[in-house]
Amino acid sequence: MNIRPMDQSDIDDVVGVIDSHDEDDAEDARSDFGESGTETHWVAEVNGAVIGISGYRQVPETHGSGWISWTYVREDYCGKGIGKKLFQHTIEHAIEAGAQKLFIKVSNYVDDDGKSIYQNATKMYESFGFECEVTSKDFYDEGEDQHIYAKNLFPNLGTEEDKENEKPVVRFIDVYEIAETNGAYSFRWEVIKKSFFQKRSFTIDDLHVGLNAVKERGGRIVFLTFLSNLPLIHSPLASAGFKLVGQLTDYYEPGVHELHFVHRLEGL
Amino acid sequence: MIPIRDDNPQVSVPWATYGLISCNAAAWIFLQGAGFGESFEPSICEYGLIPANILGDVGSVGKGTCEGFTDYGLLNVLTSMFMHGGWMHILGNMLFLWIFGGNVEDAMGPVRFVIFYILCGVAAAAAQVLSGPSSSIPMVGASGAIGGVMGGYLMIYPRVKVHILVPIFIIFWTFRVPAWAMLGYWIGLQLFEGMISLNSTGGGVAFWAHVGGFVAGALAVFVLKDDELLFDHPYHGWTDSEDPASIWDDPNNRQN
Repeated sequence: MNIRPMDQSDIDDVVGVIDSHDEDDAEDARSDFGESGTETHWVAEVNGAVIGISGYRQVPETHGSGWISWTYVREDYCGKGIGKKLFQHTIEHAIEAGAQKLFIKVSNYVDDDGKSIYQNATKMYESFGFECEVTSKDFYDEGEDQHIYAKNLFPNLGTEEDKENEKPVVRFIDVYEIAETNGAYSFRWEVIKKSFFQKRSFTIDDLHVGLNAVKERGGRIVFLTFLSNLPLIHSPLASAGFKLVGQLTDYYEPGVHELHFVHRLEGL
Repeated sequence: MIPIRDDNPQVSVPWATYGLISCNAAAWIFLQGAGFGESFEPSICEYGLIPANILGDVGSVGKGTCEGFTDYGLLNVLTSMFMHGGWMHILGNMLFLWIFGGNVEDAMGPVRFVIFYILCGVAAAAAQVLSGPSSSIPMVGASGAIGGVMGGYLMIYPRVKVHILVPIFIIFWTFRVPAWAMLGYWIGLQLFEGMISLNSTGGGVAFWAHVGGFVAGALAVFVLKDDELLFDHPYHGWTDSEDPASIWDDPNNRQN
């Protein structure tokens, strides 16, 4: 078996590998490779045939956070340690490229036969030292949670505390259904320039406008994420009924985490 | 009792405070000849505020020593805020503005702070005019507006420690007192001396301007302060400010 960097000509083969497990993921992977390219992705080859894929994408606005992306091995090669080797290869390259922390999203989906189809993958992540940091309940659908696993590649560096707070003027502009979910929405927002007597923080009313828009579209649940160094977000979010799900520690930089919030649209 | 500094971190660069100090200094040097020379006395009469002028009472009392000088009408309310009667007057005022202005500006931003400052100066002038409407003695000084800054400071940062210098002969004592004690003492003194001065007809310190400015500042700060900016000041208010994120420590605010 040979592991080499993926290139554009591998997209069809890679999509084929993913499709043998999950048709939806295969479609998403095709559009993702089309939009974001194949950099920092690697394929496993046996006799010239692509039989596995793994890789990661660095998040540009962070100090070295990356998301592990599609990691699949063709069904007939599963259980032979190929996934582990690909995964190991990805982590080593991420470290070389300066990544500080890697994250991976995984569902707890159980199929009609009662089989937890991501159980083996989850075990593999754990064997590499990944730990679950955030569990968003009912994220993909009712009863199907999203676990975000994370591995700090340089655990000895520690975290800095007391990061300077920021107060951007945040305004919501739209709501959208989160990809791969059934009825889970989020808000799009932008940072605008503050006018004279305007408040910097969004208000409970602003949040209600968004929540009602989601409800009108038949949405089930709303997830929002924010940086942890925005002191003005907490009071309106809590007053509007959002709950804290958890945080991806040091996601943006040491000491600046990504906070995850949820609202189940009850009582609206 | 001279304040020398406070234990209140400056968060943003206090551009408006710097600007106001520069304006006062420029007026002192270029319009008043730094207290020397021929331009000094005319500057007080021309740019100072004569209560009798404002209320149109000048006919009965005359302009006194300022007879014959240009009168800018209500504009004198503004110009008088940038005039001073001597080196100690301007240095004292600027010291107070330097120490208390920056943090008040931190709580409202530079544009609102300038509005706040002028507003306090106008209120101070109004209070002084009302306390002696027929006076023909010109009033000058930033003290009324700065009294407003102190009133605002007291409302926002009552617990912050202010370092005080007390010169006793050749020994200089410094000690720290909370802002409420220092500013409370200061306004009490102004009220007391203001009462005494009510019956006097001579010139001197415009105590009622200090009181008027202080009260205006203490009230106006509630309209003009920006609570979102105050998050950066750990010592604002009478109680310890909580980390806004601690709202999520409540189990009811967490995903079950």
